[in-house]
Amino acid sequence: MTILDVRAVSRRFGGLQALSNVTFSVSQGEIVGVIGPNGAGKTTLFSTLMGLIRPDSGSVMLEGKPLAGLKPHKVAALGMTKTFQNVALFAESSVLDNVLTAGLLRHGVEAARGEALKCLDRVGLREVAHKLAGDLSFPERARVELARALCTAPRVLLLDEVMAALNHAEMAEIMRLMRSLRDDGVTLMVVEHHMRAIMNVCDRIIVLNFGRLLADGTPRQVASDPAVIEAYLGRSAEKIRQ
Amino acid sequence: MKGRSAPCLFIVAAVLVPLLLDPRGYWIRVLTITLLFAAMAQAWNIVGGLANQISLGHAAFFGIGAYTSTVLLLKFGISPWLGMFAGGALGGLAAFVIAIPTMRLQGHYFALATLAFGEVMRVIANVWTSLTGGPGGLSVPFVPPSFLAYSFKLLRPHAYIALAALIVVTVIFQAIRRGAMGYRLRAIRQNADAAEVIGIDTTRVKLFAAVISGALMAMLGTLYAQVAVFFDPDTVFGIASISIRVALIAIIGGVGTAAGPILGAFFIIPLEEIMNGLLSSRAAGLSQLVFGVILIAVILWQPRGFITALNSLRARLSRKGAP
Repeated sequence: MTILDVRAVSRRFGGLQALSNVTFSVSQGEIVGVIGPNGAGKTTLFSTLMGLIRPDSGSVMLEGKPLAGLKPHKVAALGMTKTFQNVALFAESSVLDNVLTAGLLRHGVEAARGEALKCLDRVGLREVAHKLAGDLSFPERARVELARALCTAPRVLLLDEVMAALNHAEMAEIMRLMRSLRDDGVTLMVVEHHMRAIMNVCDRIIVLNFGRLLADGTPRQVASDPAVIEAYLGRSAEKIRQ
Repeated sequence: MKGRSAPCLFIVAAVLVPLLLDPRGYWIRVLTITLLFAAMAQAWNIVGGLANQISLGHAAFFGIGAYTSTVLLLKFGISPWLGMFAGGALGGLAAFVIAIPTMRLQGHYFALATLAFGEVMRVIANVWTSLTGGPGGLSVPFVPPSFLAYSFKLLRPHAYIALAALIVVTVIFQAIRRGAMGYRLRAIRQNADAAEVIGIDTTRVKLFAAVISGALMAMLGTLYAQVAVFFDPDTVFGIASISIRVALIAIIGGVGTAAGPILGAFFIIPLEEIMNGLLSSRAAGLSQLVFGVILIAVILWQPRGFITALNSLRARLSRKGAP
């Protein structure tokens, strides 16, 4: 069953065509990776899905409901949220308050506190709940951001490089979490640069290059797609292989 | 228990002190004005402290409240108690109207836009002579003293009304700060995009804060008009007399905290009065100069407000008190 349907989405910034006629769909319960070279439009895609950026043309449907013109908070209420590439926490607030604030979307303050503690348990940060978010290490902050997104009880979760700067053990932990979220019925889209991780955890991968959809398939299909290899390694690499 | 003792002590003192002051004297007037300015700075604190939008135009709402109740009393004989709510409604409406274009602005731009709005209101009050009496100002007409008519022989009831107003505004401020709205405002202040993405309607939350703050400020304008008995556009819509003063009081006391505006008002208003009393006969402007120098010194000493100094003092005392 399709949960997210993206049709011919384009967006231009001045002279840069950040997204060009991007079409794909995501099924309920999938983990879909989004890869592509720097500047390929991955973050712009997530921002457009959330309504932080308005597309110039095209449509986005979440569970059959069109998101055109909706502000991000409406999109969040409909069940989709995202994390930020550079981590956008409320740095002067406690870790618990960061997550609790997201819980207010569906609960009162006291119930939101309970939900927030559950989400912190889930990412393994319960013991730092009362620290200031700004005082945490970068990997911890990324997990707070994940917990905060979870506390909105999303149906679709867009994760923008949550594994950046993580070591192998931490990455394995996040991948385990992604799978357990999927088992709970959450659909995930994941932007990540770490290829081995993304090949390992994703059911399907879409590849963006210069704002265009270059490939869409299983990790194995995508990894052997000549167009993808060329985009990543350049034409010369192709020649080296021959 | 620990967090309750200071507010209780303050309220007991504020109830007792007016009984000790000469009811016709100068100091009870200073106390009343101080309590009023504490309440005004607390109303400002909802926008300035919780949403972190430094408004320099709050005189607009204050003046609207002062003029609304006084004009209703003059033209229709309506009790200022009712006029206060009419002014509050108009003040809230004005805050709503001005918030729509300004709330996207950040920092200095927001401050400048609100400053300009306050000035526009002052100019309108000066020009619209048929309603406001123009630059000549308005006198609150004398009516036989009674509580319902909001008319008293002495200042003591005004002091208690100002105290009640301060308590009410502070309770509202605390309820917002501690409730869901407070979490949302703090989130917006720190990262508006992240706040939206987790489901916060940033526009609605900012409008809510602006309207509550503007409405409360307008209601306090009525209380001021009743104490002052006479006022003109330059006083109630003034930049220095109202807008900057309430911002300064909250900032010097500790912006975003409930105690900040109260500490700030009890420092700034009496200090100003004392300076005026001591120095205004010596040389014109000397009192303002000394007042300014003291303010600069205090802000250099405690840039985050008195509340920080007080908290670190309390921490030091409790450490010493511990065995």
